[in-house]
Amino acid sequence: MAAVAAEPTLVKKNYLTALREALIEEMRRNDQMICQGEDIGMLGGAFGVTEGLLEEFGSTRVIDAPIAEAAIIGTAVGMALNGKTVMAEMQFIDFISCGFDQIVNMMATYHYRTAGEVNLPVVVRGPAGGYGGGALYHSQMNEAWFCHSPGLRVVVPSTPYDAKGLLKAALRDGNPCIFFEIKELYRKNEIAEVLPDEDYIVPLGQAVVRKEGTDITFVSYGQSVYHCMSAAAELEKLGVSAEVIDIRTLVPLDEETIYKSLAKTNRVVVVNEAPMTCGFAGEIVARIANNAFNLLDAPPARVTRLDTPVPWVKPLELHVLPSVEKIVRVALQTAKY
Amino acid sequence: MSVIPTTGTAAFEPLAETAESISDSRPSQLLTKEDCLEIFNQLYLARYFDIRLIKEKKRGRLRGTLYSSHNQEAILVGALFGLKSTDWISPIHRDMPAFFLKDSKFQWDDPTRSGMSIEEVCAQVWGKVGSPGRARDNWSHIGSKSKRIIHSTSMLAGTIPVAAGVVYADRMNGGDAVVLTFNGEGSTAQGIFHEAVNFAAVHKLPVVTIVENNQWAYGTPVHLGCPTPDVADRAHGYGIPGLVADGQDVFDVYDKVMAAVEHARSGKGPSIVECKTFRAYGHGDHDDDRAMKYRPNDQIEAGRTRDPIAICRQSLIERGFLSGAEAEQYIAERKSASEATNDDFPPAVVDYLNRGIEFALNSPLPDAEEGAMWVFKENA
Repeated sequence: MAAVAAEPTLVKKNYLTALREALIEEMRRNDQMICQGEDIGMLGGAFGVTEGLLEEFGSTRVIDAPIAEAAIIGTAVGMALNGKTVMAEMQFIDFISCGFDQIVNMMATYHYRTAGEVNLPVVVRGPAGGYGGGALYHSQMNEAWFCHSPGLRVVVPSTPYDAKGLLKAALRDGNPCIFFEIKELYRKNEIAEVLPDEDYIVPLGQAVVRKEGTDITFVSYGQSVYHCMSAAAELEKLGVSAEVIDIRTLVPLDEETIYKSLAKTNRVVVVNEAPMTCGFAGEIVARIANNAFNLLDAPPARVTRLDTPVPWVKPLELHVLPSVEKIVRVALQTAKY
Repeated sequence: MSVIPTTGTAAFEPLAETAESISDSRPSQLLTKEDCLEIFNQLYLARYFDIRLIKEKKRGRLRGTLYSSHNQEAILVGALFGLKSTDWISPIHRDMPAFFLKDSKFQWDDPTRSGMSIEEVCAQVWGKVGSPGRARDNWSHIGSKSKRIIHSTSMLAGTIPVAAGVVYADRMNGGDAVVLTFNGEGSTAQGIFHEAVNFAAVHKLPVVTIVENNQWAYGTPVHLGCPTPDVADRAHGYGIPGLVADGQDVFDVYDKVMAAVEHARSGKGPSIVECKTFRAYGHGDHDDDRAMKYRPNDQIEAGRTRDPIAICRQSLIERGFLSGAEAEQYIAERKSASEATNDDFPPAVVDYLNRGIEFALNSPLPDAEEGAMWVFKENA
């Protein structure tokens, strides 16, 4: 039988698999890389993102850490200070508050304090976001805490392609990074996609236009991108053409892509699932107001979580989080202004 | 083939012994006359540095708060003297002399040694560009990756996990470095102290946690922060040795720290060495007056009686390393900053610090624009 030429693999991969591949490939590529976190080794991670790492790389490089988020971050800083690259997993991003001092005072400031002598390639990653009934401590989007701490990259991928490419970019960047994974997307089949066989990164600081439109711009990231896409489809039926921008990285922020879109649509709604007050949606609105006021035909609007925790039971949860309906309603107001 | 270990996942082979009482040998008895005289001189140097800075601060020449190490010098000198140049340290606010004492044995002026020059340390104190961190954070918040000194923040026990990570990485590289972390007794109550020492104990990491128990955490006495008779008792919870040293006796500190360092270097894991001492002045110079009131007078008197320079001198006399007029040449002990003069210190000590101060005074302030630099490593 004649040899069959190798076909490119056309298997669609989900968001979680993309992350796992990024970790495995970076661990293979960089033998100075360490992964640590709670239950990441023998169990393979609470969600399975680190499955297989312990078996391939051994317990010196894949550390089942004690339940001690501050020590996980602090020891990662020490390892990075002494030449290692570290992925530190928070089992849920909500738990990151237990490591807060080590992140904002020790890690984020290290390069600054040492006038550049020390840089820390540490990526703190973990599952984030609501809509899953996770309740107060398994649903948070607390990215604003870290955007407010100079010295940290803040990344929120929304697709498998971006999850893999951004995680690789973050691990190679050389700066500490807080990497928000959307756990509701981990195994979502609808967004699974074929990933390149070859090594690739998605550079930090580049937004992407997910859907083109002419009447109004949605600026969003993470899970909210999909809500914006659904809202855009609804609006299309009502004769409103919406453009959807996924900023992908909050720090650094690609403002140009936003302003370029506003030059066309002149109207903007910023959507995220964090509380409104001092949230990153407000930061985007402020920058637009400062830098692109002349492009606006309507006040920039926000759709965010209410200023509440994320409650457990479904009707309560949906009440406080952004929904497609809310986004459509606000978009129509903005479009008609 | 599974590589999952069956007896836990500690990265480095656990040894049979854990909490056994570690060596009670007296390595200080093996120190030569030259070593002992060097230690004696280092005590003078640490004391002179402190006294001189207090004087400079009183003359309004320094910015920021001065945390005096007066009366605690034996801990720094005794702990650092036996280290190898590949070892790491993480000093805190009261340990300014540690930056230049590290790896300084008989080579105070060697620019290649694994410690900071007196010029760098003075430039930091004066807030000048010649500081290792270009004076971006204050006083003791300096460090140097190349000199193996970890940079602290104001959250004091927060350097212990960093220290643990540093030696984890070193072990991974096949190194045998030990890290000494310096802490006050107050910060041992912090959650991160527990998390970090626990991590170090789980992985048998060579972390020696020195607790400078000076009895007062700012305005709070030790019994309100620690429920056990000795702070070193905290070690029991981690199955690691907890040693108590006389923090006024440089040779006792040396003995206990060396025992802990050898324990750590041989792969047996971390330990806690509590050095009992007494804070001579306030928490910082802003607190000097109040500290004379919130602390009982008899405690202050008793705490200052056992001056580490006097105790070291007595040891050297007993061992025949100092005699007669030689021993009485420089009497710096029990003198406050306002009482002591340059004549109370060996000229080599005074000259050394003068060189540092001269460098600092001639070093420029950083450009204002530097305040916005180095937030990120730029990769463009």
